[in-house]
Amino acid sequence: MEAVTDAPVISPSPRLEPPPASMPETIVKVEGLTKRYDSLTAVDDISFHVSRGEIFGILGPNGAGKTTTLECIETLLAFDAGDVRVQGIDVRTDPLEVKRRIGVQLQSSAFFDRLSLNELLTVFGEIYGRRVDPASILDEVDLRAKLQSKVSELSGGQRQRFSIAAALVHDPPVLFLDEPTTGLDPQSRRHLWGVVRRIKTEGKTIVLTTHYMEEAEELCDRVAIMDHGCIVALAPPHELIARLLADGFRKERIERHANLEDVFLALTGHALRED
Amino acid sequence: MRLIGVLTLASARMFFRQREAILWTLILPLFLIVLFGFIRFDGTTTLEIGLVGPRSPVADSLRAALARVDAVTLHAGSRESETELLRQGERDLVVVLPGGLRQGDSVLVLADLEAKPSQTQLGRLILRTILDETVLSDLESVTRPRLVVEAVVTRNLSYIDFLVPGVISMSIMQMGIFGVAFGFVSMKKRGILRRLSITPLRTMDFIIAQVITRVTVLMLQMGLMLAVGVLFLDLHFVGDILSLTVLAILGAIVFLSIGFALAGSSRSEDQVAPVANLISVPMILLSGVFISRAHLPGPVYAITEIFPLTFLADGMRAIAIDGASVLEVWPQTLGLLVWSAIAIVLASRLFRWE
Repeated sequence: MEAVTDAPVISPSPRLEPPPASMPETIVKVEGLTKRYDSLTAVDDISFHVSRGEIFGILGPNGAGKTTTLECIETLLAFDAGDVRVQGIDVRTDPLEVKRRIGVQLQSSAFFDRLSLNELLTVFGEIYGRRVDPASILDEVDLRAKLQSKVSELSGGQRQRFSIAAALVHDPPVLFLDEPTTGLDPQSRRHLWGVVRRIKTEGKTIVLTTHYMEEAEELCDRVAIMDHGCIVALAPPHELIARLLADGFRKERIERHANLEDVFLALTGHALRED
Repeated sequence: MRLIGVLTLASARMFFRQREAILWTLILPLFLIVLFGFIRFDGTTTLEIGLVGPRSPVADSLRAALARVDAVTLHAGSRESETELLRQGERDLVVVLPGGLRQGDSVLVLADLEAKPSQTQLGRLILRTILDETVLSDLESVTRPRLVVEAVVTRNLSYIDFLVPGVISMSIMQMGIFGVAFGFVSMKKRGILRRLSITPLRTMDFIIAQVITRVTVLMLQMGLMLAVGVLFLDLHFVGDILSLTVLAILGAIVFLSIGFALAGSSRSEDQVAPVANLISVPMILLSGVFISRAHLPGPVYAITEIFPLTFLADGMRAIAIDGASVLEVWPQTLGLLVWSAIAIVLASRLFRWE
């Protein structure tokens, strides 16, 4: 249906790749989205498009409106103004159809107690009318060994990955991840980046929020930086950096070729500790 | 339909993997039945009589005759200690025998005439008879009319027959109000319902699965209580299982709906608990679960007439013990139908995912 060039073949680092020149298919379209809570305007007339196959990051300090924006697209929140569509479907007039097309990892997702991951994924699949193979879904997030475990027996990183697995049961074209790596140790965070990249290579579109600039730089094709409910910048990360440097910005300190996280990882290794 | 089946199976798994739930829903009602069955606190209590006075052959034969009366529990002690026990309510009567006990001597009976008029009366009759037989035994020649007792077999309904249908009804209420309200509020608070709300799952499918699971557990609970009652506690169960099941399900619909209404209007367990108790405790005490409503004062009795638990307990009792059908107990059935309509409207108005 569409002709997207296989970016990694041309360049080993997809984040440096400029967006395809041909007209990309828009998966998520947000136009003039506004959400008010009494006197507070949480999201103030924002617009952006997300194209098929890209990882789109929404950055911003706490209270900037990241989660509110996501929840409006996910049909969880009613909004005051704007046009929000997923694959052309209006989230206001046909929320059920939108729900069928999106996979969502909430900031704090809870699942039923006392069911194994296997049973949970089976139930979630059935909700979408699918008979799924839980083992192969868990494979995608490197949790196959935990097929018979309960969510309460998982570590923080494993829970986040299971939450992504549960969002993937119905093979949705677009995935929303709300702060997927908050609270994880550096090993788990890097591991989750690998999982997200792998999902992207399967042709899925991913919209994520994060507090970690390094994560955004590492994963996102484009980022929208939000503050006080508005988008203050929207571009690929390297472009934003180039713009800042062109304006004459220089870091005060001497450039170092490693930081403390590199030291930490060199000392403790990249291997996951939880499995 | 397939989805409802899968969801029901999942919620049944969750239920039976929860040890405390099994304890509360299956073991506790049985425990209550056995406990209250032994206390029998509506039953024919015996007359506690303290017997004091000096020993003599006549006094001893009087003591022996009193001890043979099943309705009497005899205690011996000093006059002071027995009188004190009478004041504390541990004795119904204290009988003070004089030294010789000849004709013309009087036997003193101490009793609280206002608090225990019927016990006093009964005690006096028993004492009168025994005194006559003991003291006048040597005057046997007097021809008195004789009392002849003939055995007749009756249905012999016991407290257990009253108690078991009541506890079954109470369990249905507790499962509905507490099981549903606490379960859903906890799922709501922890974000499980929110996670489900981003899926295309229809609320009704989820609720139907929950209702099927709980009704199944209730049926198990009822079967277990009836089985234990009949096998070990001499329960006179003559009921028609179908009628009993229909009425139990009707009761379950009423109380599950109340549970959903509560779950919908509360945000946390702390908010649910007082309301749930406010609804259930008066019904447990006043709807004739453990104690017959017959002793309630008029206005209270009138109010308890329309309690949903009264309809359920009375109906269950009539079906299980008197062998009535669900149609023969139509006032109770109708009462529960009206309550289920009210509760379903409330639940659909108040229930929210978030």
